[in-house]
This record gives sequence, structure tokens and C-alpha cells, in this order.
Amino acid sequence: MSESLDSLYSVARRTIWLALLLWLPVSPAAAQQLNMVSWGGAYTRSQILAFVRPYEAGTGVRINMEDYNGGLAELRSQVRSLNFRWDVIDLELSDAIRGCAEGLLEPIPIDALAPPPGGGAVMDDFLPGSLTDCAVGTVIWSTVIAYDREALSGEAPDSLEDFFDVERFPGARGLRRTPRANLEWALIADGVAQQRVYDVLETSEGVERALRVLDRIKPALVWWEAGIDAPRLLETGRVVMTSSYNGRVHDAAVGRNQPLEIIWDHQVWNIDLLGIPRGNPRREQALEFIRFATATEQLAEQARHIPYGPVRRSALAQLDPQLGSSLPTAPENFATALQINSRWWAEHHERINKRFEEWLQQPVRVPRRLPR
Amino acid sequence: MRRTSSTNAISVIGRLAMLLALGNSPAQASPETDALRLELEALKQRIDELEGRLADADQSSLDAKASAAANDDNAEAAAEGFDVGGALRFNYVWRDFDESADSKRGDIGLDLFRLNVDGRSDNILLSAEYRFYTFMNSIHHGWIGYDFGAAGQIQGGITQVPFGLLPYAAHNFWFGVPYYIGLGDDYDMGIKYLADFGAWNLQLAGFKNAELGDASNLDRYSYDPVTSGDARNEQTNTLNARLVYNLEQGSDCSHELGGSGMWGQLYNRDTDSNGDYWAAAAHIDSRCGRWNLQLEAGRYAYDPRNPAGISSDSITFGAFGGTHEVAADGNFGVFNVAYNLPVRWPGVNLLTCYNDFSVLDKDPDNFDNSYLNTTGCAIGAGPTFTYIDIIRGKNMVFFGDGSLAGAGDNAWETRYNINVGYYW
Repeated sequence: MSESLDSLYSVARRTIWLALLLWLPVSPAAAQQLNMVSWGGAYTRSQILAFVRPYEAGTGVRINMEDYNGGLAELRSQVRSLNFRWDVIDLELSDAIRGCAEGLLEPIPIDALAPPPGGGAVMDDFLPGSLTDCAVGTVIWSTVIAYDREALSGEAPDSLEDFFDVERFPGARGLRRTPRANLEWALIADGVAQQRVYDVLETSEGVERALRVLDRIKPALVWWEAGIDAPRLLETGRVVMTSSYNGRVHDAAVGRNQPLEIIWDHQVWNIDLLGIPRGNPRREQALEFIRFATATEQLAEQARHIPYGPVRRSALAQLDPQLGSSLPTAPENFATALQINSRWWAEHHERINKRFEEWLQQPVRVPRRLPR
Repeated sequence: MRRTSSTNAISVIGRLAMLLALGNSPAQASPETDALRLELEALKQRIDELEGRLADADQSSLDAKASAAANDDNAEAAAEGFDVGGALRFNYVWRDFDESADSKRGDIGLDLFRLNVDGRSDNILLSAEYRFYTFMNSIHHGWIGYDFGAAGQIQGGITQVPFGLLPYAAHNFWFGVPYYIGLGDDYDMGIKYLADFGAWNLQLAGFKNAELGDASNLDRYSYDPVTSGDARNEQTNTLNARLVYNLEQGSDCSHELGGSGMWGQLYNRDTDSNGDYWAAAAHIDSRCGRWNLQLEAGRYAYDPRNPAGISSDSITFGAFGGTHEVAADGNFGVFNVAYNLPVRWPGVNLLTCYNDFSVLDKDPDNFDNSYLNTTGCAIGAGPTFTYIDIIRGKNMVFFGDGSLAGAGDNAWETRYNINVGYYW
């Protein structure tokens, strides 16, 4: 009898415990969730491992990750309609600057950020240019030329000029469908000194000059938009060389054992930042998440999952020196690096992109099939 | 959204995570909590697995897109689903051999209204086009196909004959000599197989007859032997093969080198017996930067079984509601050059100018050679496309009393032609 009672008591206790677990009113923090938009693939994976999962485990706040291909159109739409699907956005620097200027992003006070572990000022810990009024830097990443060493038998390409030389290195080329970085590369390949690139691009003649250089390889070009597609163009044999984000190439080469190589010559480096849509009702929670995601430990951890350089000096100091050689900022990789002028692009992007899209519609070669 | 494929699991994980966060201290740990922790870990592993499968699916999708785009001939019908398109075109013509030309300054009228359907459902392909002219209505092409992926594609129905420069042996609106002798942009009824093998492209076809199955019907788009003349011949049971090699794909220049051959029976309705015919051609289609050079040289021969007293020096061809004679044996040549101009005119996204020249060297000694030369430009502006051509012909049909057989006026005649179309 007492065994039956014990058994009944045990079942009742478990049932009540389970009911409590499932239906107990949870704390406001536990009920929260945030939607973060980022660039997908290996990059989003590195963020999930470095700070999304730890944050979820530590706070109970769910972070839903969504992919996008950059730009401000969707952000503009959400802010104007006050219909927020995104709470935290991973932005390129030029979009962060433009978004802030257009009032699309919340200001982020510097005292909202986590101080470095050893003490010191937050401002000094972040590399110059990685803190803006409305967004906090996370990583330095780079757009590089990558190639398939098995598809190019014989001499291996090792310079930016080789990318534009389809006679010496025949085969299709991949480029991101944007004027950014492509026009800079075209001018450098045409002999413009790196420090004069933006002066030349300032004029219509300069833009046309860059497009004429791109014309040389236009028949061989395959355009990509999502970062994940660039290494896959190489892996599927559609192109023999392509621009790509260095972390994506590293992920394919190391993670998927693909025969891909990086040409670091004239890599175009940039900063990714986190921002919050202006007027978002979950601003405080989003800010709390950004404070966590941009802390020293998390940025160092992210670099262990993708070779993008952390923007905090304290995070760089925590990295294994061997890991440093695969970062864009390694001295041997950085010798001819060009920092994309995000402020310049924020000002000129609309005008140049319009011309670039127009140029895309104009084939170089006589079309094989005209309308009949 | 990440994890959208496992919404229920996410819901459970979210609640469990919140609960675990609440009960994080050792004092609150219990067997139930441990079990829930294990379940949480299992679900996280499941999510990782699903993310991996999603990445694989993305890879497959990219592979499929790459495969479809790699084959120009298949690209039109490559996208899943069906597209309905069409065109409305008007034509202006001024003929210097027309007595009223100087007074009227030419004529303008409706050229055509056409409807197209292209698409695919899984591996089943469809492509069809029907044309409405003021003087006739006719199918242009219509076929059903099956896509074998890397192994090629098969098409059955009224499909383009794989011969010579494709898709067209000219850049201009009026085409060149091969079209008027049935050896350019011809469509017949049969089965065609197309495949790419690296840099090689192979097309094999067998055609039961011309597109309509009725050799007396002249309401057709492409030229074939018809039974409307004195010698009532029609093509039947034709075999075609075309093989091309593409040089230097992905570089500044690409060159297509090709060879084509066809052989078929030529049935005579009066004698109820079969003669035969054959044609062969070699071509080069080079695209270097903005230049395009097209060369084609070929020979054809018709051996009809005509009734006694009917000359076998020429064959009656028909299309567009009319007929003309073509020398039964001859050599033909094409020399086309085009340049794609880098224009920056508002709204204009293509300006290609060209000179297309073609010749027919007829075997009978008393037949004068025929020539056609077109100088012009094609202008693309959004959905509109305009051809502006100066077309000069000597011994060409539609040019005064010119003939592709004998008894032509042996004089150069000129047409000025502007064709404006809206395509959707």
C-alpha cells in the first residue's frame, strides 16, 4: 500500500513539476527574442558559435538569424512603416554611414559597450574607424581574388592584373554584382595608383575608364550576389577565378577541402558593424545583445571560426599567432591592401550604382540571338 | 530564417532554454531538468543536421542553375514554369524598284503579332510560337522536349533544323541567301537531339517532312520545296547532323567551328517516286571583343524525279503565301561582320551595326549568281527593338525581277527597311 502511495506520489510530483516547467510564467527576459540579419553561410555560422548561442544560453533570449545581401532598401521599408522584422543588423561600413545619415539606425552610445578585460577606454580598444555613431564594428574582412588551382594548370596567378588577363589565364570570372571594389580594382589594374583611385572615380570619365577595363572581361563574367555563392562558383567549375570574401574561401578550402587559393594582392578590406533599426521597440534588448556580441571574448572567439580580424585590440591579443597568418591583417597579406572608402561610397553609391546597372544591361559582344 | 525547417523544435528549444535559464543553479537541478537538457542537446544536433542538409540543397540548386546556363540552346526553356511572351512589329519599306516609291515615299504596315510559350515542368520542356501576319497565320515552331541534364536534350515537333550558323545566319531583319533556299532558320517536323560534350556541341535530327505535313500549303514561316509549281516535289525523311567546337570559352575571343550535313528524300507527287537531296556546310562564328565575324560556305544538290518535260534545273520553294524557284544545284556563301557599339544614349541598351553579305553560285551555266548585301543597325531600347537596314539584292527574290534560279533581271535593287517591334 505504501509502495503504491509512494509511486502515486512520485508520478504526481513529476507531473506537477513538468506542468510547472511548461506553463510556469517565465520572466520577461526569458520570453524575449530578437531577430538578427546577417550575411549567411560560414559568416553567420561564426556568429552563431561566437556569440549567438552563448547569449541564448546565458540569457534565455532567442536570437533568430536571417540572411540578406546587404543594402538599405529593406531597412528603409521597415523603419518607414514601423513594421520591424529586424532588431539587429550586420552592416557594411558604407551602409552603416548612409543608414545613420538617413536616420534609419539608432544612435549607439559608447558607454553602452563592454570595456576591455584588462581595463582601459573602450574607444582606445576599438581600431580607428570601427566605431560609428550608429553602429559598432565587429570584424575586418576582405574581398579578395580566389582561384581554383586545379582549373588553372601551369602558371599560377598571383596578382590583381592576372584576374583581368583572360589571355594568360583563360576561363570565366566571378564578381559580386556591385560597383564597390570592382571599380577600384579595374582602375588599379589599369595603372591608377592606389591612393588616387577615389580621385579618379570622382569623375564620370574615371567611372567610364573603370567600366572599359571591366568590358575586357565582361563576356567572361558571372555575377554573384550572396557571399556563399562565390566559392561555390569555383567549386562547381563555373568560373576559374572570382572575387570572394576571404573567410568564405578559407571555409571552403579548410572546411570542405576544396583546392582554392587566395590572391591577397590589392585585397579590399572593410569593416562589418552591428546596428539597430531606428524606432525599434526592442532597442534596449538589442543594445544589450550588441554589448555582448562586441565584447572582447566574443570577437576573439569569432575569429577562431572564420578568419576575419577582430576590431578590438584586446581580442586580437587573445588570438593564436598561427591563426593570424590567415587574417587579412597579417603583414604579408596586407602589403598592398586597400581600405574601401565607405564614406566616399556612402556619398556616391547611388549615382555610380545607377550607371553600373545600366552598364550591366549593355553586352560587350554582339548577342548571339537578337529578337526576331 | 535559420531553423525555419524545424519550427516545432525551435519552439521547444526556446521554452526549454528559458526554463533552463531559470533553473540554472545546482540547487534547482533535478533528473527532469537533466532529461530536458539532453533533449535540448539532441534537438540542437538535429538543427545542425538540418542546416547541413539545407546547405547541400543550396549546392544542388546552384549546380542545376550552372548546368542550365551552360547550354545556350537549352537556356530558353530552362526555368521551371511557363512564360508567355510575344511581339508586335511594324515595318516600313521603301523599294527603289517600285514605280510608286518616289511618289509615296514607301509604305508602313503591320508586320506581325506573335505569341510565344516557353517553359518546363520537371524535365519536360515546351516551346511554341504562333505568328499572325496580315496575309497569313502560321506556327513558327512548336516542340515538346525532355531534358536529360548533362546527357543532353531531345525535342520533338516543329523544331529548328540544325544546319550551319545558328540560330541565324545573319544579323539583319531580312536575313541572307541561306534562308531563301531553305538552309537557314528552317523549321521542320521531326525529332532532334542536342548535347554538349565539353567544348563540343552535337545536334542530330530526323525530320519526317517540312513543318506542316502538307507540301501544298504555302502559309508557313520557313522555306521548303513545295508542290505548287510545275515540278511538284516535297522533302521527306531527312537526316541532319551538326557538330561544332567552341574554342577559348571564357576568354576575350570565342570561336565556334562547325560542320553540318543533311540528306533526305525528295518525293515527286506526279511520278510518285523519290529522288533525293543533300547539303553540307562549314562555318565559323567568331566573337572577339565587340566584333563578330560569321563565315559559312556550303553546297547543296537536289535530284528530283520530275515527269518528262519538266526541267530539273530548279526546285520550287514556298513560304509566306508565295513561291519562287531555286537552282537545283549550287554553292552558297555567307560573310557577315558586326560590331557592338558602346553607346550611352538614354534608354538604349544595345546598338549593333553590321554588314551581312551572302551569295548563291548556281551550277547551271545560264543561271546568274544571286547576291544579297545588307548594311544596318539593330537598336535595343527597353522592350523595343528596331532594325534599320539598307538591303541590296541582285537576282534575289523580292527585289524586282530577281530570281534564285535563272531568268532574273541581273540588276542590283535596293530596299530600305525599318522594322520596329515591342517584345515581351
